[in-house]
Amino acid sequence: MEAYQIRALSFTYPLREKPALKKINLTVKQGEFITVCGKSGSGKSTLLRHLKTVLTPHGKTQGEIFFQGRPLAESDRRTQAASIGFVLQNPDNQIVTDKVWHELAFGLESLGMDNKTIRLRVAEMASFFGIQTWFRKNVAELSGGQKQLLNLASIMAMQPSVLVLDEPTGQLDPIAAADFLGTVKKINRELGTTIIMTEHRLEEVLPMSDRVVVMDEGEIIIDDTPRRAGERLKEMRHDLFLAMPSPVQIYAGVNSDLPCPITVQDGRQWLNALPINARAHEAPAAQCCQEPAPRPNTKRPPDIQLQEIWFKYDRDLPDAVKDLSLEVAAGQFYGIVGGNGTGKTTALSIIGGILRPYRGRVRILGQDILKASAANAREQVLNRIAMLPQNPQLLFVKKTVELDLYEILAGTRLSQEEKRQKVQDVCALTELDGLLKMHPYDLSGGEQQRAALAKVLLREPQILLLDEPTKGLDGHFKIKLAGILEKLTARGVTVVMVSHDIEFCACYADVCALFFDGGIITQNTPRAFFSGNSFYTTAANRMARHIFPAAVTIEDVIEACRNNL
Amino acid sequence: MKDAFSTFHPVVNFTYFTAVLLFSMFFMHPVFLGVSLTCSFLYSTLLKGKKIIRFNLLYLLPCMLLMAVINPAFNHAGVTILFYLKNGNPVTLESILYGLAAAAMFMAVILWFSCYNAVMTADKFVYLFGRIIPALSLVLSMVLRFVPRYKVQIQVISTAQQGIGRNVTNGNIFERARNGLQILSIMTTWALENAIETADSMKSRGYGLPGRTSFSIFRFDRRDQTVFGAMLLLVVIILAGAAAGYNTMRFFPSLKLPPPDAFSFGVYCAYLALCLMPVIIDLAEELKWKHIRSGL
Repeated sequence: MEAYQIRALSFTYPLREKPALKKINLTVKQGEFITVCGKSGSGKSTLLRHLKTVLTPHGKTQGEIFFQGRPLAESDRRTQAASIGFVLQNPDNQIVTDKVWHELAFGLESLGMDNKTIRLRVAEMASFFGIQTWFRKNVAELSGGQKQLLNLASIMAMQPSVLVLDEPTGQLDPIAAADFLGTVKKINRELGTTIIMTEHRLEEVLPMSDRVVVMDEGEIIIDDTPRRAGERLKEMRHDLFLAMPSPVQIYAGVNSDLPCPITVQDGRQWLNALPINARAHEAPAAQCCQEPAPRPNTKRPPDIQLQEIWFKYDRDLPDAVKDLSLEVAAGQFYGIVGGNGTGKTTALSIIGGILRPYRGRVRILGQDILKASAANAREQVLNRIAMLPQNPQLLFVKKTVELDLYEILAGTRLSQEEKRQKVQDVCALTELDGLLKMHPYDLSGGEQQRAALAKVLLREPQILLLDEPTKGLDGHFKIKLAGILEKLTARGVTVVMVSHDIEFCACYADVCALFFDGGIITQNTPRAFFSGNSFYTTAANRMARHIFPAAVTIEDVIEACRNNL
Repeated sequence: MKDAFSTFHPVVNFTYFTAVLLFSMFFMHPVFLGVSLTCSFLYSTLLKGKKIIRFNLLYLLPCMLLMAVINPAFNHAGVTILFYLKNGNPVTLESILYGLAAAAMFMAVILWFSCYNAVMTADKFVYLFGRIIPALSLVLSMVLRFVPRYKVQIQVISTAQQGIGRNVTNGNIFERARNGLQILSIMTTWALENAIETADSMKSRGYGLPGRTSFSIFRFDRRDQTVFGAMLLLVVIILAGAAAGYNTMRFFPSLKLPPPDAFSFGVYCAYLALCLMPVIIDLAEELKWKHIRSGL
C-alpha cells in the first residue's frame, strides 16, 4: 500500500513568479526509506512540508496529495498529528518543555491520552532509544545530538506510520549525526516506519536508502535506487555530483563499466576491479599527489604565535586548553580538526582575544596581547582580528543585507563614496550581488554565511577566525566559500578555521592540525597529515589508501586512477 | 544525606510548607515560636549541610538581634518601664519581648522558605499549578525552558559581537550602550525567528487539539496518604488550639500567656510533631536503611 501518492503537485510562494515545485509526481510505499537530495533552494523542504497539512506553507498549490489512499486534506488534524511525524533541522528550536519526560509526553498530551497510556508509551520509547537514563534530566543538560534524539523519540512516542525528516543532522557533529542516522535506520527496519528525509550527509544516508529522489529547480530529475541514481547523474553530467558521497564522485571521474559504488567498502572493491597498473602502489611519489606549492616565504614573523597556553573557564573546572603551542604564518590557511569538546573553539577564542589564558604567551602580529602594559597596542592588534561565529545570524542587525554591511562602517571616518566602494568590493568578493535588498534572515544558510563573512571582512582584518564555517552547507556553497578564502589568503590574510569537515580541510587548507584533549597532537600539510592517519582521514583516502596511499582528496584519487589505468 | 521528605508527592510537600509558614507567621507565642525556629533550623541544616549554620550565625542572628533592639526604640507601649531614653521616651519590657518574638518569627519564616525552595523544585510547582489550570502548567514549563536558553544565547551573541570588535566592554560609554542595545536587538530578532520553528514543532505534534491532558510522573501512593492524613490531623488539632485562643499571647499593654493546661500541652505537642515531621521522616528513613543494610 502507498503511504503517499503525489500527483502533479505544483506550488508557488506568494509574490514569487517562479514556482518552487513543478509538477511533482512521487509515490512512496509503506515502509520505504526515501532520501530526497538536491542543492539548497531546490524545493526539497517545500516538498516535505507539503506532506503534513499544518506545516504546508502559504501559496498557490495545484495537484493532489494522497495519504494512505485518501486525499491528505481529508484526514483531520488529529490523525495527521499522530500518524505523520516531522523532525526539523534545529534540535533546540523543536524542544518545547524543560524536562525530558515532559517533552516525550508532549504529543501524547495533545492527543488527549490518559496518564497510564502516556506512561507506557513514554517508557517504551525511552527504552527503544536507550535514553531512559536521561528521563528526569533538564533538556538544557543535553548535548545537541542528544536533543535531536529526544525530538525523534518524542515524535516516535506518538507511533507515526510515516516519519519525515528535514535535514535532521545539519547542526550535529559527525559522531552525533552517525548515531542519529543509525537510530532512524533502526526505526525503519524494526518498526517498519516509512522514512522520507532530506540530508546533506549522503555518505551515511545513501547506503540506508531504498530510493533516492534528486531534485533540481523544483523538479524531480531522478527517482531511483542509490546505485542507479549515481549512474544516471554521471550520464547527465549534472553538477549535483558535488553533493554525492566520495565513492560516487570518484566513480563519475573515472571511465569504467562497473556498477556505481556507494559506500567506502563498495568503493574499495570497485577500485580493486579496475584494471589499474599493478605497480601503481610501488611508487607512491608518482601518484600525482603533490602538495600545493608552498607560499613564498616572507621575512615576516608568524602572524599568530601561541606558546604553552593553559586555559580553564573557572577555577574549579578542568582545563579546557592544555599546553597548546601553535604558529600560523602570514597568509596561511590553517585548519584545526578534532572531536567535539576537545577545546578547538576555546583555542579560537583565545587567539581572538576574547578569552584570556592563565598561563602561557599569545603573540598576535608580533605583539604580546597578554601584557598589561601594552593595552593600547593590544586594542589595535585585536582590531585587526575578526571572528566569524558558528551561527552567522548572530551578526545581523538591520532590515536588509545592504544596510547591515553599511552598519559596520558606521563608526569609521570614511566618506560616503569610500564606504560605497568598500561595500561594492566586498560584495563582489563574496558574491552577494542580487541579495543586497533581502532581509538577512530570509537568506539560505550558505548565503547567510557569505553575508556574515562580508560584514566581517569590511573591518579589513589581517587575521580571520572561522568557527565551523561549513556546518549545514551543501557542496556548492562549500566550493564558493573555499574560493573566497583562497582569494583572501592570496591577499595575505591569515585564516584559521576550526571544523569537523575533514574533506574541506583536506582540499583547501595549507596546514591541518589535529586537536585532542586540549592541545594539538600533530600538524602537517594536508596530504602528509591525512595519508598518515588511518581512521581520521577523508573518505576518498579510506577508499583508495590500499592502492594510492598518498591520495587524499577526491581529485587526487581520480587523477591517480586516470594516470594508472 | 538525601532528603526523604522531598520524595513525597508535591501536594504533601506544598500543603506542609503552607501550613508551617502560616502558623509561624500568625502564632506569636513563645512555645510556638521556639518550636518553629528550632525545627526550621534543624531541617534546613539537614537539607543544606553545615554551610547553612554559618550563614545563619553570620547574617540571620545579627539581623534578629538588630530587630529586637530597634523595636523598643520606636515602640513605647507596655506597662513595665525599665528606663527612660534621653529624649524622655520609656523603654518597656513588653516592647523588648515583642521585638524578640517578631525577630524569631522572621527568622523562622526565612528558614522555612529556604527549605521550601530546596524541596519544592520547579517541576513540582509546575505540576501543582498545572492541576488547577492546565494551560498554565505548559506555559510555566516553557518559561523554565526558555529563560535559561535565552541567557545562554545572550552570552553567545555577546561573544560573537566581541569577535567583530563590538562589545559592552569596548569603547566609550555611548558606544558601549549602543553595543549593548544591539545585542538585545539581535537577541529579539533571533528569539522571534526561532520561535516560528518551535511553533511548527508544537503544531506538528497536535498542540491546539481539543481535550489536551496533562501528564505527570508523580503518584499519590499509600505512603503519601499516611503522611498526608497525619499532617491534616495535626493541623486540625493546632487550629482547634488557635480557636480556643491557646496559640497566641498578649504583649500589650501587659504580657499575658494563655493558661497552661492539658489541652494547651496537647496543642504544643501537635505543633512540635508537625514542625519536626520532615526531620522525623528523614531520620526514620535513615534508620530503616541502616537496619536493612545491617540485616543483610
